[in-house]
Amino acid sequence: MTIPYDLILNAVIAGLLLGGFYAAVTAGVSISFGILDIVNIAHPGFIILGSYIAYIINIRLGVDPIVASIVMAPVFYALGAAIYQVYYLSFERRGQEALRGLAFFFGLLFITEVGLILVFGVDYRYVQASYIGPSLHLGNAHFPLRLLVPCLVSLTLFAGLHLFLTRTFMGRAINAVSQDQLALQLMAADPIRIKRIAFAISIAIAGVAGALLIVIQPVEPSVGREYIGRVFAICVLGGLGSLPGTLIAAMLLGLMESFTSTFYGPSWSPAVAFGFLLLTLAVRPAGLLGR
Amino acid sequence: MRAWPFLVAATIVAALVFYCARAFDNDYVFFAGYVVLQFIVLATAWNILGGYTGYVNFGSAAFFALGAYSSVFFHKAYPLPIPALMVIGGVVSGIVGLGTGYLTLRLRGAFFAIATLALAVVLQTLIINWTYVGGARGAYVIRPNEIAILGSYIQYLFLLMLVLAVIVICTARLIERSRLGYGFATIRDDELAAEACGVPTLRLKLIATTLSGAFMGMAGAPFPYYIGYIEPSSAFGLAYAVNSIAMPMIGGTTTWIGPLIGAILLGLLQQFATVTISSAVNLLIVGMLLVDFVIIAPNGIVGLIKERRTASNVVVEPTVFVLLFALNFSPVYFLAGQGTGAQSIGLVFWLILAYVAYMRGRVLGRWWLIAFPLAGVLFAFAPVIAAIPVTAATFVSALLQIICVVCGLLPVRRPAEASAR
Repeated sequence: MTIPYDLILNAVIAGLLLGGFYAAVTAGVSISFGILDIVNIAHPGFIILGSYIAYIINIRLGVDPIVASIVMAPVFYALGAAIYQVYYLSFERRGQEALRGLAFFFGLLFITEVGLILVFGVDYRYVQASYIGPSLHLGNAHFPLRLLVPCLVSLTLFAGLHLFLTRTFMGRAINAVSQDQLALQLMAADPIRIKRIAFAISIAIAGVAGALLIVIQPVEPSVGREYIGRVFAICVLGGLGSLPGTLIAAMLLGLMESFTSTFYGPSWSPAVAFGFLLLTLAVRPAGLLGR
Repeated sequence: MRAWPFLVAATIVAALVFYCARAFDNDYVFFAGYVVLQFIVLATAWNILGGYTGYVNFGSAAFFALGAYSSVFFHKAYPLPIPALMVIGGVVSGIVGLGTGYLTLRLRGAFFAIATLALAVVLQTLIINWTYVGGARGAYVIRPNEIAILGSYIQYLFLLMLVLAVIVICTARLIERSRLGYGFATIRDDELAAEACGVPTLRLKLIATTLSGAFMGMAGAPFPYYIGYIEPSSAFGLAYAVNSIAMPMIGGTTTWIGPLIGAILLGLLQQFATVTISSAVNLLIVGMLLVDFVIIAPNGIVGLIKERRTASNVVVEPTVFVLLFALNFSPVYFLAGQGTGAQSIGLVFWLILAYVAYMRGRVLGRWWLIAFPLAGVLFAFAPVIAAIPVTAATFVSALLQIICVVCGLLPVRRPAEASAR
């Protein structure tokens, strides 16, 4: 059997576009888990919450979902700040983040999912936008716009985040807090405030990523569970706290998933991410570009 | 109490439970009791790893489902009696536990937690694509109606689960008071120091993962016979994962009695909730209680009883106060107008709201804050008693709670101090 050339080409394109989107989904976890060492397993819950908020605004007001999510980002930022404050006071300060902090985020993930089921039901929801449907054609290559637009937004977001973390004072402070909290305190900076800002940014990104998700595929509340594996697989594979590593890992995972679903069928694709994760943990826990 | 007298005492209690259940002469008691017992086993098994060594396992459902599906496999290939299936399920899950532990336990704790989440999805995908055990369509396991001596089959399953619960609890208690248990405790408290003192941490952690996984598998093995029809999304249901974490957390994680208390309370509450309201609300309640307890009572109910005075003062912080208030009011909203049964479950959350308001009020010197949640209780039951429309009652009640939050946040003016400065 000869494998058709066009099929491979389009699987590669779909994989890369998907990977670009995964980069935005993972960027938040890269900050919270990679830099701040907060194992926020509720992150996919916030992504799905972002999807539903974009959905409501899109259906009620007819606003473009991605624009809506950017407008709503400050709300997510505030939510993130509040959650970090509670997390810090209840667990981090008492040194109980390992067991109870994890259980706390697990509970939050659960509450968001069940809450969304109670409000919206388990039907798939989707949004309306002009770029959902048509594709760009370059010869035999097809670029579906519903993947291309989220990918471009995601890459812009990712580049902005990278610049923020490496070029600005606050970004450098966020990196510093992960390296030496005590030293930062000696520089008269409040590490808790910096961590709160960083965590809030990660949740704000989750909100935007949620809008990208609902553009790419219809969403129902339990979709988030699939993303737990993807997000942490990418984060660990790329190396904790390394944004370039995260981008490479996201592209790799996108390609792998695209090939699996093209050649073996979509029912196998959730296992790819988790298989990747287990393999990475077993072989090279530091990841591709890990310190 | 030494180990043997405890085993005898536990057996006597179990026999009494079985005798009382038979006295009801109603099979429903056994159906409901089986689920509670299953949760006791799962919670205690989770606690052997999570509570004693401090490593969080999010994949309880995976180990449980492995036990269940190994039963399905043997049911089709070569039918065996259920006790044998339980041993097989235990061995299979134990081996998987050992493997996962070996791959990830050398790393930081968080990786193990994430890997167990991963394990559940990988196994679920494998089962969905494995048609011999039913695949995504699921498999029917027809249980015989009658069994010799006991009569109905559900009584037999109940008895098996009861025996397993006694075994698991005795094992957990034995571990707690043995060299092994002290080793586990050192890992929980300070793994680095334990390692430096010559505690073989990796080996101990592997023992804990294997034991914990094996017991979860054993709990899962009779499940296909209980439910009659099994499919991947029910066997791998989130309910098992969240319950086996929530129960020890709510009961208390450091002793064997904590998971037992948690499982009985939460198990009964859920049985009651499933009958009176939907199962989605049911899960919301468990998740909410989990979050409440990890914040308010870090050592669970056992901790609350032991250290009566040192009630945690985190609740007093404004952010925590607001978040807890908002969280606990949401189930009340979903329960509104669902009848007396639902309102009595809502009472749990009103109680927590009252506690939070009381703690915050005590710090601010505004004792009357507690009156708002208490008034809320009245409004919750009002539509049941008098002919007040549900929406109006909920609206007033919500308004009262908002006022309570606002009053809890307004800064306190202390005229004497202010003038002194």
